[in-house]
Amino acid sequence: MKAVTALLVAGGLMVPGGTVLCQMQEPEIGAPAPAFSLPDTHGNRHSLSDYAGKWVVLEWLNYGCPFVQKHYRSGNMQRLQEEYGAQGVVWFSIVSSAPGKQGYYEAEEMNARNEENGNKAAAVLLDPEGTVGMAYGAKTTPHMYVIDPAGVLLYNGAIDDRPTSRLSDIEGATNYLVQAMTEAMAGQPVSVPTTQPYGCSVKYRN
Amino acid sequence: MYRISSRPSPGPLKWALWLALAVGGLFTPVFLAAQDDDPSPHSDAWLIPEVTSIQPGAPFTVAVRFQMDPGWHNYWRNAGDSGLPTTIEWDLPDGFHAGEIQWPYPERIVAYPLVDYGYSDEVALLVEITPPADLDIGAMEKLSAHVDWLICERICLPAYADIEVAVPVSREDPEADSAWTELFRQTRDRLPRTVAAWELTAEVTEGGYRLHGEAGSDAPPVPQRVYFFAAEKSVLAHAQPQELTVEEGGFALDLVASPYALQPSTPLRGVLLAEDDRSWARESDAVAMAVDVPVQGAPDPLPDTSAAQSPDAETGNRDGPAQSPQGGFTLAVALLFAFFGGILLNLMPCVFPVLSLKILGAAGQGGADRRSIRNQGLLFGLGVILSFLGLAAALIGLRAGGSQLGWGFQLQSPIFVGVMAALFFAIGLNLMGVFEVGAALTRLGSRPGKPSGHGESLASGVLATVIATPCTAPFMGAALGFALTRSIPETLLIFGFLGLGMALPFAVLSMAPGLLERLPKPGSWMETMRQVLSFPMFATVIWLVWVYGQQTGVGGATYLLTALLLITAAGWMVGRWSRTDLRSGVVARVVSLVALALAAGAVARGSGQQPPLLTVQEDWQTFAPQEVSAAQESGRAVFVDFTAAWCLTCQVNERLVLSTERVMDAFRASQVALLKADWTRQDPLITAALEALGRSGVPVYALYPGRPGADPHILPALLTQEIVLDALAEVISPSSRGALSSSPNP
Repeated sequence: MKAVTALLVAGGLMVPGGTVLCQMQEPEIGAPAPAFSLPDTHGNRHSLSDYAGKWVVLEWLNYGCPFVQKHYRSGNMQRLQEEYGAQGVVWFSIVSSAPGKQGYYEAEEMNARNEENGNKAAAVLLDPEGTVGMAYGAKTTPHMYVIDPAGVLLYNGAIDDRPTSRLSDIEGATNYLVQAMTEAMAGQPVSVPTTQPYGCSVKYRN
Repeated sequence: MYRISSRPSPGPLKWALWLALAVGGLFTPVFLAAQDDDPSPHSDAWLIPEVTSIQPGAPFTVAVRFQMDPGWHNYWRNAGDSGLPTTIEWDLPDGFHAGEIQWPYPERIVAYPLVDYGYSDEVALLVEITPPADLDIGAMEKLSAHVDWLICERICLPAYADIEVAVPVSREDPEADSAWTELFRQTRDRLPRTVAAWELTAEVTEGGYRLHGEAGSDAPPVPQRVYFFAAEKSVLAHAQPQELTVEEGGFALDLVASPYALQPSTPLRGVLLAEDDRSWARESDAVAMAVDVPVQGAPDPLPDTSAAQSPDAETGNRDGPAQSPQGGFTLAVALLFAFFGGILLNLMPCVFPVLSLKILGAAGQGGADRRSIRNQGLLFGLGVILSFLGLAAALIGLRAGGSQLGWGFQLQSPIFVGVMAALFFAIGLNLMGVFEVGAALTRLGSRPGKPSGHGESLASGVLATVIATPCTAPFMGAALGFALTRSIPETLLIFGFLGLGMALPFAVLSMAPGLLERLPKPGSWMETMRQVLSFPMFATVIWLVWVYGQQTGVGGATYLLTALLLITAAGWMVGRWSRTDLRSGVVARVVSLVALALAAGAVARGSGQQPPLLTVQEDWQTFAPQEVSAAQESGRAVFVDFTAAWCLTCQVNERLVLSTERVMDAFRASQVALLKADWTRQDPLITAALEALGRSGVPVYALYPGRPGADPHILPALLTQEIVLDALAEVISPSSRGALSSSPNP
């Protein structure tokens, strides 16, 4: 482990400024959100630019992760998906798990999982190469992003302020996503635009 | 021996799960049952006291010990990018008190591209327990705890255990339990300790922190590999490399701030680990040094941001946040640059005509009311400052809306350039005496001999600013780039100072009574002077037409010149007939309005024209980021010229330096790849590239060494042949490869 770490660090030092191929990016709040174009589980392609003029929420998803299960078993995530969907917000669940890793399913199987979990997102997008996850700096599942109708990133971080996998912690938690959406949709600046996301690591391709 | 138990009992988690199941009915019980079988999958926890008996009132230590299957791990107090720290909820007899968890230093768990901090195989967390003084001797006291942890391999599972142990109370001095002395000793070896041999300090740097260690007289050599584990989560970017610099008498460690930090945090707390197992102290074995230092330049924790910003912003006087994460370029320096840059703007070829008109106007009022002149000076200044603020606000607003814009953005619009050319041309005609109208157009230039109104002074300030913006780049490149990365009040403050500097000379002139009196008395020389001043106006028009031509081609420029002809006709008609009888005066005005409308149409038409495809000179390629890396991969150095037709400095540099035989020969000899990034028109790709270099406008000259990924050397905005040749020599010569340290962070 230490050797791997040392190699990684050494690699990072030799290439200052982080131009390493496929390095994880850190998107900036207030700047245009990274563009993406991904297929959903039904084979339709969705590009961020298709949704100019709409609010977009991105949710990084891995059904095998206990932190994700916390929000699906409690019905918390589906409730948010449904509520915002009704307000015309486009909600994408994005799966960046690489093939063979936890949370990765072929499109058909993913549909079954979505059904089983009652996912109410506009679409579940498949990012097995992890390129979109890397572009957004998605670190954990769940990891939430809010993009305004002009395509500007307004929130990047945790879903709420209780970094646990306990279902009982949903009640009474401050939901950062709801807070950011409420403020932003009312035309106010987002008071907490970034928080440390919590959860399982996104299961990227090595 | 005491019975050590890891007997699980149904915790709140289980009840919550069942409740959710009953309510939601969404999941198969099979899945839950699988988890219920073992509440602590792939791991187990025990509670172990260090001593065989406890004394009333005497603190003792217990260990919460974890054993994990190979490949599985749990987490430190800061779990890193993902994961979750272990928590302990104590259930102790009355009067017992449990202290904080003492965490052994963790290891880095790399799951590319994430880095977590945790433990694998085995770990013990130590806690000091203080019993009350009134315990019954001989009684057994039961210590219980509910422990939650996350156990991860490639996947993560939540785990918990309810653990307990009973200890006898004795009058005797406690004895260490020999079965566990090794466990406690090894665990304590891993606890971070304060080391007196090093004096630690920390400061905010661009994008992070620098931790300094000053070696005391008894300090051993600096370890060769050092890693800092931040104790709190949203402080550092865990996966970023940490750069160790060993200096005379100490070391510096550069740390990258967390992207989730809203502001630099202070104090900086954590563990500085010598990864090569060298001790930080001579006498004892201390591979992990405790760090808890205030951070210079970080705002106070939990400030009231609204209250903290405005008073400082007004005085422009801040010592704390000025040393911001932007590093070297502090707010104070930016304000200074802005102020002097503003003063220098008065000498710029595009500003000078407007300013000379103002002075002429003031001279014309030589005998006029002093107060009115002073008011004019102030209003002109106000106009300048307000329009700088307005431009900054527009820029902030457009950028917030997602537009990729930079400074001088308005000159990227052909319509704007065309309208400016028409306006300056009309002012020139008016000064020349072709026509006289009492309309706003003439008065922008404030005719001599006539006291001008307040609105005019304000308007001339606005005009001066708008036309001055392209000239700001050489002085202000870095400061404006800095400004646009700051909070909105600070950005506005910097732009305000730029305006203040620009407004100052005329305001001072108008207020100092002695200065204006030195000017000659009004007379016929003023009419001559006025006509002379039309020439810089026409010169400005030539420049604007040239910019317009770069944007729209010869066809577009022809439309603009036609518009200028129509304006001349309109001005001539008004000048020729307005003072004759009423009827022809009216006809002349109507016809001239038609001519002006046609001129407007011509500008609109011309702005839609496209220039012919850019014919870059054969040595220059069109810029694209991948071209830079491609050339670097093949070992070639790269020179990128960020330029725009409307940028005068850029043109001067290109003609006097870059296109000279001497410089081109040097480029060719070293096989430098030459890339031109033309920002004459809006181009998001180039705006992004400029931002990556920390700039918001042109010119920028970036010289990249011919090594993959090497950072560029940024040349000054005003080039000389020597600057370019020296920089080239430095980049090409292999001996100086380490010298390029002044480059910015992309």
